[in-house]
Amino acid sequence: MSIKRKRSISDIIDAYFEDLERWAEQFEETLMVSPSWNLKNCTIEPLRETMVTPTEVVVTVDLPYTEKKTVQVKPVGRTSLEISAKMKRKIRLDDLGVTHCKGEFQKLHCHMRIPVPVNMNKMDIHYKRGILEIHIPRKR
Amino acid sequence: MSEQVRIIEKKKVPPGATLLFGFPDVGLVGVIAASHLIEELGLTEVAYVDSELLPALIVLHEGLPHSSIRIFADHNILLAVSEMPIPTDVIYPIMNALIEWGKSKNAKMMISLSGIPIQDRQDAKELKTFAAASSPEALKLAQDKGIEVLTEGYMVGPQAVVLQRAAQSGPPALTLLSQCFFNYPDPEAAAEVLKELGKITGLKVDVAKLLEKGEEIRVRARDVMKRTQQEMSKMKKGQEYDIPMYVS
Repeated sequence: MSIKRKRSISDIIDAYFEDLERWAEQFEETLMVSPSWNLKNCTIEPLRETMVTPTEVVVTVDLPYTEKKTVQVKPVGRTSLEISAKMKRKIRLDDLGVTHCKGEFQKLHCHMRIPVPVNMNKMDIHYKRGILEIHIPRKR
Repeated sequence: MSEQVRIIEKKKVPPGATLLFGFPDVGLVGVIAASHLIEELGLTEVAYVDSELLPALIVLHEGLPHSSIRIFADHNILLAVSEMPIPTDVIYPIMNALIEWGKSKNAKMMISLSGIPIQDRQDAKELKTFAAASSPEALKLAQDKGIEVLTEGYMVGPQAVVLQRAAQSGPPALTLLSQCFFNYPDPEAAAEVLKELGKITGLKVDVAKLLEKGEEIRVRARDVMKRTQQEMSKMKKGQEYDIPMYVS
C-alpha cells in the first residue's frame, strides 16, 4: 500500500497559484485582450512556440532586431523560462503606426511555461538569424 | 455573386488583368508580398469587399475607414489583399465572391501568393517555391518557368477555394508557395514568392527593399501573425503537414 505524503499548506498555495497562472496564460492566449507590448517596462512580446517531443521540449522565439550577445534565457523555477533580448535600436510606437499614445521599446521579453517536467540545467541554446531555439531534455 | 458579399468598385477596373491574392496565412508570406507589391509598383485601391459576414472591423488609414479586404490595380494586375485573417467560416463566401468578380472583369488568370511551412526553416540556406494549379495547362506554365510542382499533399485556406473553383469553371489558377516559417512572419519567403511571380507574369519587382526591411516587418507583423495563428488553428491548417493518402 502506498503512503501519500501530506501536502503542506505552502505546497497547496503554490499549486493553486501555478494553476491560476496557467489558466491566465491560456485565457490571454485565447482572447488576446492585452496589447503585445508593455510601455512601463519598454518591452515588446515576441512570437514563440513550444514543441514537446518524446525526449525533449523545443522552444523557439522570434527575436527580430536583436543580436545574439544580448539574448538572456533564465529558468524561473522548474516550469518556466524568462527570455529577453535587447533590440539593435529603440522602436517608438509611432514607428509601428500607433499614434494615439507615446512610448518606446528597447527589449523583447516574454515568459514561457514548459508543459512537461524537464532538466532545466541541461538546456541547449542556439540563435540563428533572429530565431532563438532552446532544447531542454525531458525528465524521465 | 453572393448577395451577402459585395465588391464595391471605387475606380474603373481594367479588364483582362491577372488577379492576385495575398492573404494572411503561414509566415504571412502572401500579405507581406502583397504589401511590397503595392508599395513597389504604386498600385492604387480600385475596389473593396463589403460584407456583414466579416467581423465589425475597419482599418484606419490617415484617419479614414477602409475595408480589411481591398483590391488594388495597375500594371495589368488586380491584387486582392487582406490586412486581417479571413475568418474560417466565411472563407467560402468571400472567396467565391472575389472569384466571380474576377470573372466578371475577364481576369485572364488567378494567382495566390502563399507559403509552405518547413521544419528547421532558420537553417534553410535557399528557399524553394512550389506551384499547384487548377489545370494541366496552368501547371505546365509554372513548370516551363522552372517552378517545381507540389505533386501531392493538402492545401487549406483561401487558396484551396481558388484552385477548386478555377478547376470547375475557370479562369486558370496557380498557387505559388514558398518554403517558410509556420508561425513567424517570413519576409525572405515573401521575396522568393515574388521572384517566381515575376517569372510567370513578367512583372519586374525589386525585392531588395523588402529584404532590407525584413527585421522591421517581423516586429510590425507580430500581432497580425498572432491573429492568423488563431485562425489557422481553427481551419486546421496543420493538415498541410499531413502525409497524403492518395486514393486513386
